[in-house]
Amino acid sequence: MYQYIIRRILVFIPMLLALSIIVFGLAKAAPGDPLSGKIVDPNIDLAVYEQQREALGLNKSIPVQYFNWASSVARGDFGESIAYKGRSVQSLITERIVNTLYLGLVALGITLVVAIPIGIYSARNPYSPLDYGATTFGFFGLATPNFFFGLVAIYLLSINLGWFPAQGTTSSTGLSGFAEFKDRIHHMVLPGLTLGLAGTATYMRYMRSEVLDVLGSDYIRTAKAKGMSDRNVLYKHTLRNAMIPIITLMGFEFGALLSGAIITEQVFNFPGLGTLFLSSITNHDYPVIMAIALLLGVAILIGNLLADIFYSIVDPRIRYD
Amino acid sequence: MFKRYKPSIVLLALLLILGLVLSACAKDKVEGVKKDDPATEGKKDGEKKAANDGPTDGGTITGAMYSAPAGMFNPIFYDDSYEANILDFTHEGLFTQNDKLEFVANLAKDWKLNDDQTELTLHLEEGVKWHDGAEFTAKDVVFTYKSIADPDYVAAGGVRSNYVEPLLGFEAYNKGKTKDFEGVVADGDYTVIFKFEEPSVTPLYTASFTIIPEHIFKDIAIKDIPSTPESLEGGKVIGTGPFKFTDMIEREQYVLERNVDYWKGAPHLDKIVWKVIAQSVMTGLLEKGELDFVASPGGIHPADFDMVNEYKNIEIIEQPDFGYQILGFKHNHRTTADVEAGVIEPANWVPNKKLSNPVVRQAIAYAVNREGLVGEGHGKGLLHGHGQPINSPVATQFWAYDDKAAINYTYDPDKAGEMLDEAGYVDKNADGFREDPDGNEWILNMDYPTGNELREKSAPIIQEQLEEVGIKVNLRQPKEMSAYVPGLTDDNTDWDLYLIGWTLGSTDPDPSGLWAAKAGYNFSRWNNPKSGELLQKAVKAPEAFEQNFRADVYGEWQHLFSEDLPALLLYAQNSIWAYNDRIEGIIALPHTMYQDSHTWWVNDAK
Repeated sequence: MYQYIIRRILVFIPMLLALSIIVFGLAKAAPGDPLSGKIVDPNIDLAVYEQQREALGLNKSIPVQYFNWASSVARGDFGESIAYKGRSVQSLITERIVNTLYLGLVALGITLVVAIPIGIYSARNPYSPLDYGATTFGFFGLATPNFFFGLVAIYLLSINLGWFPAQGTTSSTGLSGFAEFKDRIHHMVLPGLTLGLAGTATYMRYMRSEVLDVLGSDYIRTAKAKGMSDRNVLYKHTLRNAMIPIITLMGFEFGALLSGAIITEQVFNFPGLGTLFLSSITNHDYPVIMAIALLLGVAILIGNLLADIFYSIVDPRIRYD
Repeated sequence: MFKRYKPSIVLLALLLILGLVLSACAKDKVEGVKKDDPATEGKKDGEKKAANDGPTDGGTITGAMYSAPAGMFNPIFYDDSYEANILDFTHEGLFTQNDKLEFVANLAKDWKLNDDQTELTLHLEEGVKWHDGAEFTAKDVVFTYKSIADPDYVAAGGVRSNYVEPLLGFEAYNKGKTKDFEGVVADGDYTVIFKFEEPSVTPLYTASFTIIPEHIFKDIAIKDIPSTPESLEGGKVIGTGPFKFTDMIEREQYVLERNVDYWKGAPHLDKIVWKVIAQSVMTGLLEKGELDFVASPGGIHPADFDMVNEYKNIEIIEQPDFGYQILGFKHNHRTTADVEAGVIEPANWVPNKKLSNPVVRQAIAYAVNREGLVGEGHGKGLLHGHGQPINSPVATQFWAYDDKAAINYTYDPDKAGEMLDEAGYVDKNADGFREDPDGNEWILNMDYPTGNELREKSAPIIQEQLEEVGIKVNLRQPKEMSAYVPGLTDDNTDWDLYLIGWTLGSTDPDPSGLWAAKAGYNFSRWNNPKSGELLQKAVKAPEAFEQNFRADVYGEWQHLFSEDLPALLLYAQNSIWAYNDRIEGIIALPHTMYQDSHTWWVNDAK
């Protein structure tokens, strides 16, 4: 098992190297550079930008630029952002990653809490009115674009009823301790719901079909024939087996969690990694693009590794040697 | 049986839910307005009473911006207008501009120019304190200009070199040949002398740059200044302005607190809080009173004007913006060799035959319905009436703007057609489009960038209008700005028509940065010797010391521009700013509403 994990982690290195080369190449292949979009202020001489390109090393050949970047990353230095003058890439990412994880976990929590019980209920009572209701609700959530749901939520719950704040992660700078925690939770409700409910349909449907599948299998029939209680059959035998696809989904989710939810973040002005990634791409802010791409790569790889490990815990038939 | 009906039942349920949600929205809106009425009425009465009592201290106001500042709060290194929103309250320069855009003394008490305008002597206000209590002196002024002239300044990310280039000894200092900068020198603590390389037509503009504190930055190398906390963090940024930048939650909130020691008098307001708000929810928050003001950049969208204008608690300021949108004509293209070498040499340029006849450009100008783009009122045009077609590339607020000097191309497709017929551009093969005088296919390529929603919408409209008079336009896919600009600059290509917008400075109307033949931003590659002559004449000492002389020359130039048409000016959009009427004392100047914020107060302060 440990050998397996170590082997998997060693494979990460060439994968990340390949990823970084591809992303760097693609980012450079896109027309324009970090300074070309800024040229709209007629008071600033174009020669100024030419000098800055020289200073940033943007006039060097792409392999040389990649090598310079890679060697400083190898030394643990992700460099300085170009669009956010004077800011190190590390400080930009640490500033956002907390918000992103926080939002992602709350949303995932809401998704699971809503989706799994409903999925199980639907599977045990298929084609009942509640099953149809849940299906309708799920597809409604899946079909509604995030921004629309977010704006309706802001309009009804924030602007009209005034229950929840509409924008940002906290209401003022002077808070601390429990008051701050409460305030942050309060700000989390709308974006969390928006993001969380959007994901419920997928999990619900997976859960429903998996549980239905498992319920029809021979070993469940055997267990029932042995006189096991419904409760035991459900929790001891059905759920464990039905969890496998959910774990796969969550493995992918781990990467998605970090990439953030660009649209939700924008509607609620919730500063997270998603918006940073998007803006760094439009700004051609190469150091930031590269750092986030690597971070996401690592997250997805780790997510998949964790999923594989959890398989063997949930289902003893799966073993790695 | 039942299963077959399932999809339609689901659909029905969906429609029902959607209908409910939408009707709930509509109902709430009506109720909201009704509920609001008595409340705002009551407030209006209260306000009158308070207004009679005069300014009271205290209160917090909240401003909105649609995008977060990048985070550079050092005046010599910042470059986005969201950062300016904060620096406008915290930092000051020696001069500021009044309602006629004239420079008036600010941190400078008075000034004297010598006769040939090569030396500007300034006496500074005494007793001005930096936010940390240190005294503001001539040393700070010298330090600020020295930093901008520093050899490492541009490489460190600075872009304001135009403030130091005209100063004496800039070249030598910037190249590192000397340690002393002769351009700005202190004489004692309260006198500063600006020396110019050549007689300066705009000496006060050069001296108007925002001042930074020497005692904070003097021991930090220029290249490290952008990454110091004193340039980046709320609470560490030090200025002389009426408000201190004390705290921030990055990308969300920026808190300004009153500077009780402000030299013009302590501000009335306790706090100004800037919040970053998505544009889509801004109007709702404004109506609800959670936001108190919103201004440039962005302001109120022209389509929302009528709605916001209905809000009882909101005052609106509408005035022309310092900018315009153009339909550019590529007069010339550069050669590939010049593009690769980065040279702008008009002698090498290759004329663009498709547009080289001025009559063709004028015909295009008549064929575009500019009034239609602006519209007459809500629901009409792209701007809903909140803008105007302009005829000359000088901001309308300036003394140099002369609408009569320029030819006004009012929409007249028939005339456009006649002009093209006379010039020999007629449809010879009956395909509905004109060919050039030699009978060859005549297709104009048109390019435009994304990023400005109204400009994006105008591109297909212009294409349609030109095709109506028989000009075949090949409208290409829009590109995002950072990909579009290289296409504009490296123009050894087949570009003919292009769209772009310019935001002009409010400081001096000199258009040569955009339209002089050798200017990098002259994307039309317009090379008219007469224009070059006039532009130089307008800034040539000593005649140009007289503003009337310059105004006359610019008038002549504006006529030439509209005749030769390097670009058709489409429209100048109005800026629309709004604020809650609980704030008193806001003065709208053509370029800002943030001046003298220490006199602002709220009529509901406790």
